[in-house]
Amino acid sequence: MTPSAPPAATTLGHWDRAQLVPTRRQLAVTLALAVLGAVALNTVTLNPFVEVLGEVIFVSIVLLLGFKVAGAWRQTVLPRWVAQLLAVALGAALSPLVVQMLSVGGDFSAFLASRRMVHGYVLVTLSAALVGTLFALGALYRERDAQARTDALQFALERETLQRQAADARLHLLTAQIEPHFLLNTLANVQQLVDSGSPRAAPVFQSLIDYLRAALPQLHQATATLGDEERLVRAYLELMLMRMPDRLAFTIDIEPALRALPFPPMALLTLVENAIRHGIDPGCDGGRVEVGARRGTGRDVDLWVADTGVGLSEGAGTGSGLRNLQERLEAFFPSGASVTLSAQTPHGVRADLRVVAAPDA
Amino acid sequence: MSLPTALIADDEPLLREQLAAHLARLWPELQIVAQARNGREAVEMFEDLQPQVAFLDVHMPGMNGVEAARRIGRRAEIVFVTAFDQYAVEAFRQGAIDYVVKPIEGERLLDSVQRLQVRLRAAGGSPPPEFDTLLDRLAREMQQRGSAPKYLQWIKASVGNAVRMIRIEQVVYLRSDAKYTVVAWEGGEALIRTPLRELADALDPECFVQVHRSAIVNLMHVDRFSHGPGDSGEIHLKGRSERLAVSRSCVHLFRQM
Repeated sequence: MTPSAPPAATTLGHWDRAQLVPTRRQLAVTLALAVLGAVALNTVTLNPFVEVLGEVIFVSIVLLLGFKVAGAWRQTVLPRWVAQLLAVALGAALSPLVVQMLSVGGDFSAFLASRRMVHGYVLVTLSAALVGTLFALGALYRERDAQARTDALQFALERETLQRQAADARLHLLTAQIEPHFLLNTLANVQQLVDSGSPRAAPVFQSLIDYLRAALPQLHQATATLGDEERLVRAYLELMLMRMPDRLAFTIDIEPALRALPFPPMALLTLVENAIRHGIDPGCDGGRVEVGARRGTGRDVDLWVADTGVGLSEGAGTGSGLRNLQERLEAFFPSGASVTLSAQTPHGVRADLRVVAAPDA
Repeated sequence: MSLPTALIADDEPLLREQLAAHLARLWPELQIVAQARNGREAVEMFEDLQPQVAFLDVHMPGMNGVEAARRIGRRAEIVFVTAFDQYAVEAFRQGAIDYVVKPIEGERLLDSVQRLQVRLRAAGGSPPPEFDTLLDRLAREMQQRGSAPKYLQWIKASVGNAVRMIRIEQVVYLRSDAKYTVVAWEGGEALIRTPLRELADALDPECFVQVHRSAIVNLMHVDRFSHGPGDSGEIHLKGRSERLAVSRSCVHLFRQM
């Protein structure tokens, strides 16, 4: 392509070059069929064998090329296999004629006048059409067979990938550990509340227990709901509020009717933790975290975690955590789940989840 | 002789309170003259009040404790406070730099207090000679760990009236289009203003290759490559009907292994 050509992602040539050149196998089969055909025809014609052989080889090669060219031509009018069979039929009709015309010096009437030649032409054409069509069908069958095998392999690979992803997600969940930095800092805060005899110690302890109960993987409930997730998120945010009272504010607004919705544990918490870690904690001024869930149209449920923190830089490496979340949600909500992230003005990040609840929920 | 003075810097108020309470018990003469909420405040307050001792939390917003310590330098006795940072703790230990871990244990803090008292009495007893280089190294290390990965992880693009953050792995290809760059991703197409040339430098070359003057493709989304007219080629994408032109000079990228 020349540099001035349009860069658009459109079709480039009209030919698929990889399809154009016959394979060695196709060439060999064609020649073998040609020799066999010549031997067969030799028994019913009076022409010398060499002449018959030459004609049949020429015709066979023309048919093969027609088959390949029709296969490589990118057109949308006909199905590819129809085009290829038509090319073979056309080749079978025309190429013996070319041979006959050569032998009479291009005089068509002389050809028509010769009964012998017309007979020979019809004979070669019919045999060529028959054998050529069989060959073409065989080649097409092989091609489809190969395609089917490729598809099957592709399918197996995809299934294997999905299984691995599901296993990874499970593994990730099992090894999702409480960050030592978070736990030790939180404990230090709690210790100070206890040491100073603060009345806040008891509720903060309760938050810590709620959080640990949900965050310790072996204590995960199999039947977690959005209500459980709400408690977990609230416990986590209460703990963070104790730690950074001057930098954090939060609201949780989950439609009460949604609390019974089965929900994968820690799915919202992951987003809330990200909001704190990447939005609130790095900024001297902190910010506000808003968590919410509302029933959308039909069986859709919209959930969100928005913060007014410093925002994600284009290089922030939280993508893999988000991909894990997407996979877990897809596994949990087979009818549909999506995670989208957007930047907020003037700063901050908003994560939107949309899940399609199971019909009985 | 005037009473010794100290500054405490931690972004968590209860932890400042806790350290102050412990110090009041273990070292009653020590005057806490300032409590800073972040590294920048710590440096400012230090400049104003010139305390003799600075307790600096390692992890703080704005400016971390190591960075603040570098600004303060040898003008105060520095004690780092950290909850959990194996790397930093290891570095402090190796460099004989004083530190305490949170939650604070009275006995461990008493050791630090006694060392500080000795050093203050010796007046001018300087910290170990490698103190500065060690802090420089630690600061560099922390910056590298904290800083963004080398390559672009997100593309921020306007979709409707929101600014979508598109994960880089979801991007199928980028194509320059007159004044804009078209981002084709799993969820649709969006326009961004950053020129393709600039994006090319910011993308991970393991995944993103320029296949044409005007197109960069994510190899993870390539289904196959086929030869086109002349010496050019084209790319077929997974699950998409459009094809991408590969210019002659880029065909070698898709040679068989």
